Amino acid sequence: MFRPRPVRVSAWPRLTRRGGSLMIVGVLLLAVSLWFDLRDVVLLAFVGIATPLAAAVFVVVRNPRLAVTRGFAPAVVAAGGWTRVAIVVKNRARRTFDGAHWRDTVPEGLMGPAESILPAIGPYEGVLPSGDDTVRLEYRLRMPRRGVYSIGPLRIGVADPFGLARIDREVGTGHEVVVTPRVTPLDAALGSAASIDGVVHGLRRRTHPNSDELIAREYRYGDPLRRVNWAATARRGELMVREEEQRGDPEARILLDTTLSGRSEASLRRDDDEGAHFGFELGIEIAASIGMHLLERGFRVRCTQVADPERGVIPGAAFGGAYRTPGGDRMLLEDLARLDRPGRAAWHGTGAAQSDAHPRAREARSPGFAVLVDPDEQDARALVALRPSFEPAVAFATDGVSRLVLDLIEDADWRVVRVRRPAEIGEAWSGIATTPRERPAHAP
Amino acid sequence: MRPDLMPLSRAQRLALTATSFLFLVIATMALGPLIAGSGWWWLCAFIAAGTLFSGFGLRSIRTPPSLVPVLELVVLLLLLTLLFGGGTSVALIVPTAETFETFGELMAGAQRTIEQQSVPAIPVPPLTFALAVGIGLLAVVVDILVQTARMPALAAAPALVPILIPGFIIEAGAELPTLVLTAAAYLLLLRVDVRVRRRARLAAGEEGDQAATVIAPKRVPIVSTLGASLGLAAVGLLAASVLAASTPSVSTSLLLGSPSQGTLFARGVSPFIDLGRDLRRPEPLPAFHYLARDGDRPYFTLLTLDRFEGEVWSPTQTAVDGDNTVDQMPRPDGLSSAVETSQHPIDVVVDEVRTTWLPVPYPTARIEGLEGSWFWDDGALTVRSVDTNTGGQSYRVTRLDVEPTPQQLRNADRDLDDELASFLALPEEMPAIIAETAVALTASASPYDAAVAIQAYLRGAEFDYSTEAPVEDGYDGGGFDVIARFLETKAGYCVHFASTMAVLARESGIPSRISIGYTQGSPTDQRVDGVQRIEVDSHDLHAWPELYFEGVGWVPFEPTPGRGTVPGYSRPGAGEEGAPPLASAPPTGPGSTGRPDVDPDGGLAGQVADPVATATQLWIRSGVVALAVAVLLLLPALFRLSQRRARIRRIRRDERPADAAWDELAATALDLGAGGNGGETPREFAARLAEREAFDDARARAAIVRLRDAVERERYGPAGGGTAGAAASGSLVDDLATARAALLADAVGAERARALLMPHSLVDGVRRVLGGRARAGA
Repeated sequence: MFRPRPVRVSAWPRLTRRGGSLMIVGVLLLAVSLWFDLRDVVLLAFVGIATPLAAAVFVVVRNPRLAVTRGFAPAVVAAGGWTRVAIVVKNRARRTFDGAHWRDTVPEGLMGPAESILPAIGPYEGVLPSGDDTVRLEYRLRMPRRGVYSIGPLRIGVADPFGLARIDREVGTGHEVVVTPRVTPLDAALGSAASIDGVVHGLRRRTHPNSDELIAREYRYGDPLRRVNWAATARRGELMVREEEQRGDPEARILLDTTLSGRSEASLRRDDDEGAHFGFELGIEIAASIGMHLLERGFRVRCTQVADPERGVIPGAAFGGAYRTPGGDRMLLEDLARLDRPGRAAWHGTGAAQSDAHPRAREARSPGFAVLVDPDEQDARALVALRPSFEPAVAFATDGVSRLVLDLIEDADWRVVRVRRPAEIGEAWSGIATTPRERPAHAP
Repeated sequence: MRPDLMPLSRAQRLALTATSFLFLVIATMALGPLIAGSGWWWLCAFIAAGTLFSGFGLRSIRTPPSLVPVLELVVLLLLLTLLFGGGTSVALIVPTAETFETFGELMAGAQRTIEQQSVPAIPVPPLTFALAVGIGLLAVVVDILVQTARMPALAAAPALVPILIPGFIIEAGAELPTLVLTAAAYLLLLRVDVRVRRRARLAAGEEGDQAATVIAPKRVPIVSTLGASLGLAAVGLLAASVLAASTPSVSTSLLLGSPSQGTLFARGVSPFIDLGRDLRRPEPLPAFHYLARDGDRPYFTLLTLDRFEGEVWSPTQTAVDGDNTVDQMPRPDGLSSAVETSQHPIDVVVDEVRTTWLPVPYPTARIEGLEGSWFWDDGALTVRSVDTNTGGQSYRVTRLDVEPTPQQLRNADRDLDDELASFLALPEEMPAIIAETAVALTASASPYDAAVAIQAYLRGAEFDYSTEAPVEDGYDGGGFDVIARFLETKAGYCVHFASTMAVLARESGIPSRISIGYTQGSPTDQRVDGVQRIEVDSHDLHAWPELYFEGVGWVPFEPTPGRGTVPGYSRPGAGEEGAPPLASAPPTGPGSTGRPDVDPDGGLAGQVADPVATATQLWIRSGVVALAVAVLLLLPALFRLSQRRARIRRIRRDERPADAAWDELAATALDLGAGGNGGETPREFAARLAEREAFDDARARAAIVRLRDAVERERYGPAGGGTAGAAASGSLVDDLATARAALLADAVGAERARALLMPHSLVDGVRRVLGGRARAGA
């Protein structure tokens, strides 16, 4: 996602502006003094030349021994949020460490703090630590975009006591901050009550034929009427509902277009120059919002690629891209955070053909959500092939989806919802619940 | 706000002020070898302290920084009035118009005294005044550099002034300990500045959301950093000393001319140059005239040369002794009471001669009526000034007329004081002919007879007075090689005769020296109050030997045939025939003075460059001066050019590229008089530019629009959003070039030239920095 900035850490000392000008003055003075044969000024000329050089040697020789620990609060932050970077610098040398500047290495696109003064640090205290050998640095870092950023190492610019030469050293290593995609809270009631719940109900019924025996609980306000367990109600004399559905194991599927294989070569090249692909980021946001919503509702969510429906969104995703409620939400967001924008080589797996070969039984249909950014025809065919195993099947399409693809999948009875901006996610989600078969009003 | 310009606390300012004060006064110590005593240094320290610490006081009561230097100058003026204003001031420190007149006189006197004083100079009031003014101004400059501009490293520049001066004046230059101390003080200033700067930045903290909070340790021992500073300073200074000591001396002064020929920073003050110049004049200039009774026709001595170093005669460089005032001059060396003496007044009025050496007869009892500070030298009794010259002087010399008899001279004791050994010193190796001649001439017994014999030999018929022969044959000057040639060819002029006689006398054991001055001159018909007026002009310049006889002292001789007067005692057989001591009347006719038409006595002045060489040097020097002037004139253009380069580099390196491009465009517009973008938004500015004729061209218009868009995106767009690649920066550079070309095409030639040579944007930048600082410090 990010391109690490080519960090110019010179192992060589360089003269500061002051040292450089002192040296130039020294050379000029030497020329003048030799020209006019002023022996006395030769000394000053050499002071001008030798002192910066000595300072340069000094900063090379005087290697500071510092220990740096770094922490983030929070370590996982939503895009657009702030994280607080706390750095503890400990002096491990027996001498006071003074005359340094610090600056944290921050990847491009983030605004790290400007270079500032590192206060003098006292010598290392082996016994009776009083904290005088420690400096705490804290700054807030705004994370505008999704991704995984490596913050650090700390760059310490050590200058000599006269400010003539300095050397930049890197201390410690970089640490990762995960910036998850923004999650739009979706209307929970809609998601469970309407179309999805019906499917789950069917699924439950099919897998547990004797559900009547399961424990019922008393009716609470908001429970759908069709959950009322009439048998239990009759027995108990008050309104009872089926409880067992909450403990069910429903699965939902999210298909994310990660390859953007529909892009033309030209646009591919142009996009490479930019930091992020807007549609792709929007797609990830949609997927994250839906995934989080479903996980909260107790679904097992499988998040796979459109191009290869059997593969998780990132290589090495756990359980082939399946996430469960305890901890699964974080894993999903982290995997989505790590999702790299596809390179130019858009590849297609062979999974589409396989899933064609093994269509799931009609009764085992689960909700399927496809998030399309810029799919090509082949992706569309894969979706068409998968359609039978999903109910409902909703495709969220960003602006980049071509007309041809839309027609293809709409013909295959995918419901297409257009999403243009992150702000429309919630609206689009409510849309699928309220107007099941109606095309969105603001279609192009 | 620039990080360098963090507001400083009072203690930090005080530390910086104290260190700059220390640095400045230590640098002033470099003038030590030039000026006698130490009172002047305390005065300089007082002035520097007054100026610098008044600056500190002004800053601590929050005076606007741009006003501080002005007020410091006012303080300097008050201090100068206090010290030098004398009775002309109001309430001791408030200057009046008279005070400024006094200051003007002191300045003029200072210029003279710098030109004329020899080393070490006596700190006469004009000199101390000049020092005080100089140090005060340097203190103000240092204060501006250290406190206002916050660039203490540049404080080395003003401090170099007092350090460089000794190097131009005396051979040894400033003393080594002073230099080392100065360098150490400079490093101390840098160290204090680094600490102050770090403290100020830590205290000020950073602004904005992203600002880091730094939790520093409570107590940090600072001693170990002190060790690092000291060690580094020691290494630097030591390395510098070693390098300086091992650097061979490469003198290329031939190219620029010997620095010793400059008047202002002459290495020792020498009237040779003036003399040589006067002597080379084809038309004589009236030097001075005097009124004296008929018997008094003395030679007037300007300067006495007593050191013979093989190649050249030179005076012993002695410091002026402030106690040797001319109102009472001592009895000449070696004159015993047995010798008949009488005192006669001579009124001298100087016409054209301008030297620091006063023409006085030897010996002189006292001089009255002189203006300025004049002092006599021990031994030679020559009189010189430290702060004025002979111009316009009119004075009365009381001449001590010594009339020794030949008998007294002949009976002079052969045992000489050790002090006189230097007057007998001769180089180890001398051409044989000198010794042979001396032996041949001085076989006779007494020194006196030997001297008479030498003079008689040189005045003999064998020797010709010729000003051309030595120059033609290439043995001009006074060295002993020249003397040897002269003894062979037997033709020369007063330089040769005088130096030959002096060398021969030394060879035969008589202390000798050469005096330079004027012969007695030509009498006029004019008589004032019964005494004759006698004119002396530049062709009366002369050199003659003086020999020392115990009991009589220094006695002049005249070995040059046809010039001056031969003292009676020095004639062969004088005294024996009872001839009157001053029998030879001064010659009266113009022909009988025996003066050559042109007397190139300049040979005494050491190496006088031949005209061709002088012309070449003149060319080289004027070339160097012209080059320096050209560089100075081109300096703003160079600054501007480097600024443009830096901005284009910024564009290429992608450091806020559009901003850099826009700045450059605005600066170009400002240079060309098209108005900068002060207070205008980029859009307004671009719209105004686009109205100009040159932007009718579609390309230029498109370029400026692209530039405008880029800068707006960069300034107002999301941070980091404007990261453009190499292609974008390249197009920015192209657009900038197009827009600039259009602007330039729009301007007329004069505007373009002004934009090139005197870029207005630089002036504006400086003003903005100063103004911004004024606000920041207030």
